[in-house]
Amino acid sequence: MKIGGGVGQLKTDMAVTGHPLEEPLAGLKLSPGVTKLPSGLVITSLENYSPASKIGVFVKAGCRYETSENQGVTHLLRLASNLTTKGASAFKICHGIEAVGGSLSVTSSRESMIYTVDCLRDDIDTVMEYLINVTTAPEFRPWEVSDLRPRVKTDKAQAAQNTQIAVVEALHGAAYKNTLCNSLYCPDYMVDNIQSEHLHQFVQNHFTSARMALVGLGVDHAVLKQVGEQFLNIRSGAGTTGAKALYRGGESRLASSSGLVHSAVVSQSAAVGSSEALAFSVLQQVLGAGPHVKRGSNSSGKLVQAVAKATADPFDVTAFNASYSDSGLFGFYTISQAAAVGDVVKSALAQVKAVADGEITASDITRAKLQLKGQFLMSLETSEGLLEALGTQALTQGSYISPEEISKSIDNVSLADVTNAAKKFMSGKKTMASSGNLIKTPFVDEI
Amino acid sequence: MMSLAARSGTFSPYMQATAFTVAGPLKALVPGVVVKEEKILLNPKKHFLCRESLNGQSPKTGHAVTVSINGSAGIRFAHTDIRMPDFSDYRRSEVLDANKSSQESSEARRAYSYLVTGASTMVGIYTAKTVVTQFVSSMSASADVLALSKIEIKLSDIPEGKNMTFKWRGKPLFVRHRTEKEIATEAAVNIGELRDPQHDKDRVINPSWVIVLGVCTHLGCVPIANAGDFGGYYCPCHGSHYDASGRIRKGPAPLNLEVPYYEFPDDDTVVVG
Repeated sequence: MKIGGGVGQLKTDMAVTGHPLEEPLAGLKLSPGVTKLPSGLVITSLENYSPASKIGVFVKAGCRYETSENQGVTHLLRLASNLTTKGASAFKICHGIEAVGGSLSVTSSRESMIYTVDCLRDDIDTVMEYLINVTTAPEFRPWEVSDLRPRVKTDKAQAAQNTQIAVVEALHGAAYKNTLCNSLYCPDYMVDNIQSEHLHQFVQNHFTSARMALVGLGVDHAVLKQVGEQFLNIRSGAGTTGAKALYRGGESRLASSSGLVHSAVVSQSAAVGSSEALAFSVLQQVLGAGPHVKRGSNSSGKLVQAVAKATADPFDVTAFNASYSDSGLFGFYTISQAAAVGDVVKSALAQVKAVADGEITASDITRAKLQLKGQFLMSLETSEGLLEALGTQALTQGSYISPEEISKSIDNVSLADVTNAAKKFMSGKKTMASSGNLIKTPFVDEI
Repeated sequence: MMSLAARSGTFSPYMQATAFTVAGPLKALVPGVVVKEEKILLNPKKHFLCRESLNGQSPKTGHAVTVSINGSAGIRFAHTDIRMPDFSDYRRSEVLDANKSSQESSEARRAYSYLVTGASTMVGIYTAKTVVTQFVSSMSASADVLALSKIEIKLSDIPEGKNMTFKWRGKPLFVRHRTEKEIATEAAVNIGELRDPQHDKDRVINPSWVIVLGVCTHLGCVPIANAGDFGGYYCPCHGSHYDASGRIRKGPAPLNLEVPYYEFPDDDTVVVG
């Protein structure tokens, strides 16, 4: 499988000297090829003539698919990516990948697990072999799995140190009754109870062709298709379908001695792919989603302006927006001093209410749309972002939608859509999660 | 439609996935021994002190976690969990106090160290020289061999006019106690007539004792004492006549009898060799 032809072609194109750099090369259309195999596997690849290639296997096996018997199995699965497989031992995988200067990583979110390898163009064969081994033929030897337990504990300790992660996990835990309430980290009582059989069963049920997408950057599409047909068709079928996420709206309070209180207030929003989801994204930008100028004062966001009037102490506030395949969360996240939490949360809520009541102008919407488009398009600039975009689209829709089309759909969001989204947030049942010194923090029914 | 790419903004480093290099399975060094788990020390760096440092710390969306081989490793705040060992047991008294400058004592410390080093080096060199010479000189002749090379003779055992023969270094040694008449005769010989001209006083230390090797200078036979025409020695093999001083007078021998090195430690003994 020699994949060097593309680079040679590029060289001859670039040999046409005198071409200005502001315009794309004529006749060089970089559009990804998408193939859907009969087994359900979706293969997407984009030949971007980069000297480094990236291949990702996207699997619908996030922590939302854990059941009560195997809570936390995805945490161990995430750490088990380097364990012995049928075709390669743990040492061979680590040594082989390091020998070509590549890297193998696993990212898991609530919806999916993403196995990524990147390496130089010529070493694709080697790392592909390891990737296929890890995703389709892991052995999960019991002693290797039990050696993962100290790493699970270290992982959890590191995550617990990060208050934002703790609050977002608690938020999801309080907001849903099932599926999406599962944490990305293994619960304490299950750390010693997850055995090799759980991992095997989870992989059997969820790592099936219909739930997988194979994505490549800098790879030949034919090559990827061959790999997909030969190796990733091992487990066919749709696997276990997950239950629908049931929103309940609750509260979670994590008291600690920290002087800064982190608090998140959300309500149910829309699923990924619906037009409402876009409206919520635009609303997030209207309200303010993080600073856009490094070391700037972040005074352009509506939420920041509102909260700045309520307190003089240091604070931070962002609109929070997370969309999943059948549900979503929208609200705001605040960090403030322990004494000022009530004022901060109430003023942020009042600002969202103002937006819901129609107190936004067309210029706000235009600015928000431009910011959203800019953020999205800039995320596609890196190979990691591009791979993720290709992969999640392949996994959820089985096709590819170009950035131009997405930009157009963003432009089609109207002021009414945004106002309705804000109204939905205000009227929905709220979920709240707080962490820190909670003496003065209001409860969800008091805000 | 928004992919996961929208999840981590450029200004929220706290929402980036935790990632660390996969090092390999941990193994206990001795099987059967329970490895006590250490407390996991993490850096509780709290620097949220002002508005600016809080900027961008709020997450905008849900997070994802990444683990990787050879990928970018997480930040490790090593200076909080690595402890500097205490070396005070090995420090000199002048530098025990961490807050005092070490410059004042530096010259004294340096002089002491250099002195000790220099002295040890000299001692070492002499030791080495001694050891080497001992080993090398062990290859030279041993004491028993050296002992055979000298002979001590008691002179009072030899009467006047008598010639005694001793075995010395594998060769016969003649010790002759000469009479006055023989001494005078030898001293009066004209050196010009001799084949190998040597005056008698050049051949003896004490004229009454002549000590020569009893090996004929012609072909190596042993001459007979008190024989021959000149009152000295006569070699029977080819007829060489030596006189009482051991000089060749008649016959085929070319040289006088060889006079070895000898000395008289006292009047009664002579040590030859």
